[in-house]
Amino acid sequence: MTRATPPHTGAQLRDWTVASLFALVVALAVFVGHRNHALRARQLELADRAAAEIALGRPPIAEAEAAGIVGAPHPSATHPFLHPRTVTGPTGTRPLGGPTAPAVDKLLYDAAERYDARGPFVELASDGSGRAIAARPGTGGVAVAVIATESPEGMPWLIILGALGLGAVIAAAGALIGGAARPLGLAIGGALLAIPANGWGGMGATISIVCASLAVTIASGRGTLARAFAGFRTHRVAIAFLAPASIAMFVLVATPFCVGLVLGFFDHQHGQWSFVGLSNFGEILSGGGRAFDDPLNFWFILGVTVVWTAANVFLHVTIGVALAMLLRQAWLPGKGVWRMLLILPWAIPNYITALIWKGMFQGEYGAINALLHAAGLDGVSWFSSWATAFSANVVTNTWLGFPFMMVVAIGALESVPRDFYEAAVVDGATPWQRFIHITLPHLKPALGPAVVLGSIWTFNMFNVIYLVSAGKPGGSTDILVTDAYRWAFERGERYGMAAAYGAIIFLVLLLWTVFGSRIGRREDKS
Amino acid sequence: MIRAPAIGTSAAGGRWLARLIAVLAIALGLIGCGSSPDGIVLWHAYSGAEREALETLAAEWNGAHPDAPLTLVAVPYDAFADKITSAVPNGNGPDLFVYSHDRIGDWAAAGVIEPIAFWVDDPTADRFQPQALSAMVYDGELWGLPLAVKCLALFYRTDRVTAPPRTTDELFAMVPASRARGAYPLAYVSADLYGHAPWLSGFGGSVLDEHGAVKVATAEAAAALAFSKKLITSGVIPAESTGPLVGTLFNEGKIDMAIQGPWFVGDIAPGVPWAVTTLPIVSETGRPASPFLSAEGVLMSARAHDKQGAFAVMQFLASDHAAVLRATRAHQIVANVHAYDDATLAADPVQRGFRAQLAHAIPIPATPAMRTVWTPYASALAKVQTSDTAPADALYDLESELRRYAQTPDGAR
Repeated sequence: MTRATPPHTGAQLRDWTVASLFALVVALAVFVGHRNHALRARQLELADRAAAEIALGRPPIAEAEAAGIVGAPHPSATHPFLHPRTVTGPTGTRPLGGPTAPAVDKLLYDAAERYDARGPFVELASDGSGRAIAARPGTGGVAVAVIATESPEGMPWLIILGALGLGAVIAAAGALIGGAARPLGLAIGGALLAIPANGWGGMGATISIVCASLAVTIASGRGTLARAFAGFRTHRVAIAFLAPASIAMFVLVATPFCVGLVLGFFDHQHGQWSFVGLSNFGEILSGGGRAFDDPLNFWFILGVTVVWTAANVFLHVTIGVALAMLLRQAWLPGKGVWRMLLILPWAIPNYITALIWKGMFQGEYGAINALLHAAGLDGVSWFSSWATAFSANVVTNTWLGFPFMMVVAIGALESVPRDFYEAAVVDGATPWQRFIHITLPHLKPALGPAVVLGSIWTFNMFNVIYLVSAGKPGGSTDILVTDAYRWAFERGERYGMAAAYGAIIFLVLLLWTVFGSRIGRREDKS
Repeated sequence: MIRAPAIGTSAAGGRWLARLIAVLAIALGLIGCGSSPDGIVLWHAYSGAEREALETLAAEWNGAHPDAPLTLVAVPYDAFADKITSAVPNGNGPDLFVYSHDRIGDWAAAGVIEPIAFWVDDPTADRFQPQALSAMVYDGELWGLPLAVKCLALFYRTDRVTAPPRTTDELFAMVPASRARGAYPLAYVSADLYGHAPWLSGFGGSVLDEHGAVKVATAEAAAALAFSKKLITSGVIPAESTGPLVGTLFNEGKIDMAIQGPWFVGDIAPGVPWAVTTLPIVSETGRPASPFLSAEGVLMSARAHDKQGAFAVMQFLASDHAAVLRATRAHQIVANVHAYDDATLAADPVQRGFRAQLAHAIPIPATPAMRTVWTPYASALAKVQTSDTAPADALYDLESELRRYAQTPDGAR
């Protein structure tokens, strides 16, 4: 076994930088937390003292931005929600409020209002200004004091730079001496910031800095850090190419996904979030106490969603493949024009198409019923029963979806060698046999992924359901995504329920993708 | 011959310089984002003439107050409420914003908006139409100054209707003549609570009880629901009307009257003679059909950095002068009643018609519970209007559904 050559001073300082960066972040964070806490405590203490002085009838303390005894409200005779007050201070009594009153007076007024609602308090102003406000009972009203924001003390750069400098010297000295002094110097030099951090953030910060420094020392001794840096240098071009996409994926995909998953464990009502564990999932999966045939039961909606997806994908594939075959026929004139016309439904934004179809399904003036009337049939009230409303949705989405399958099928058909058909004709195969034994096997590799993709799109086809039937009648044509939307935006901002729905939809589609592709693969093997 | 620049020597120095400049630019950009602009920032979702009117007012304000300028930021309507809810508590929102009153309940409870009664005195409050001002009150506190109001009223084609119906009995009496022409007397968005609200109130019903809790299963509400079905079965209105369809039918003469809001004026085709008046009295009860009123107001963020200055802008935007400008340029039905001292506005038939209707309009409750009612109520309306479901049953189901929405998963609240 060969021992690794002892790292020289440069490598030692590089490893020390890694440890020190972590220590610096921790130290700065605990310092800011410690400083803000102390400042807040001082402000609140001052405000309480000032209010106490006012309550005793003494002049306000020097630090008070505003203070006084705020009198009881006098509601206006014509507008009961207007209730002006007065304030009594060292300069006498004056009205509080009015169109040109200064903003600081409003703090006194609001404090008296809050005192009337909740009793005495000492707290920071909720406007983010950092002011401290105290209200106590006083003679003839509420004693209120406002303490202005104090600028916080500056960062202790001198201490931090001193500790860093000394740490660097110790680490370098350890490297120069060599042997056991090297790791000792690195451990001590990297952990030096733990000393001032102990004063700011207590033991937690100290322990984490020391542990990090020890971890870096161990990693450095084993050569892990050196390998990591070397790897980074070797692959820096690859890393640079990967970085933009990775950052985008992390920010735009991974973060919202994780936030969504976590939100499923919370409940949101009227701006308040509360942790509810698995309750949202429990309520959804138990159907919320509704019967199975209740259109708002999760299992009913899931059933509708599955039927919806299956019906659409079947129609998309059947119509798409049929049209693709038709467009291949030699006798068909103007193929380019037909192809363009058939792709048009796909090219038009789907919500526009959905709104047009919704208008065509209107009961009295819609185009569909007009056609039925012209054919001597009765008009249908499309959105008053489940079957007709569901059919209207399926017709709309079929119109939107078949061009995609057609384009995929056209592409796949181009790859079928013509000789196969010619040979089959010579052998006396019927057109149906040619389709089953030549065309379909060639379509499968292209159509398989397209079917999985199309089923995911259809499963989550929000626009058509929301715009055409809008869940009518009574929410029975809603699918999972539209119901999730209703939890989020129409049932009192229950974002937690909507997020739980999202997680369930994700799981269902994940299972479908995994099993769907596995089935495809098994068939290929057989 | 052109030589390629040597890579690695002088270019390396250039690269470092470029990196340094990039880092500095990013740092400066971040500093720029962090600093708050001077003056007052106002978010609005206006477009078209309303936006132009607001921009004119902002220009006037900025001419007179160069030290505290007003900056307008147009925010798309769909994202508006959520942006306010998330941006203001983090200190990133505007100082002022213009929005309809129905979110005031949420924002007041979440501490997003500032109560403004402190700055408002009786003369200021007297300037506003009482219903519009009361829409800005939630939980006994005033939260904004109303700018404009919207409610439904009765539009009629003057070439078809000489005397608009004053009662619902007169409305039903119009059916034979209209149907003989292949038309209907009336159309409105019938399977929607906003469109149904006039009948609901006309029969003495409401959506919330006096404590603000949802209470929809009442005998009055059932009578109103039965009435809405009777309108369809007796041929007063066509079924399944949507907003765009009502406009088309009105322009094509397939209906004689439409219950619509001020926005409908822009949908009426040129050449169609029309007028606007108040909704009829419900003959069964003798009460006027009273539509929902929504008031658009200017609200102050609880995090506004210059609240006194922000209120001055609020007052300016709601002032008599600003109201006249908004009404004449953008055809808003303004909440400031002094604006109607203006001769042009007083003579404007649309303004007159809607002002008369406003006296019998009920502000949409601003409580959060109200926002859960719209979709299920529309479902109940559709169910009764298109099937044999009894109104009382539909309302009972509706109420139990709405109670479910108000519960947390563990039933804690």
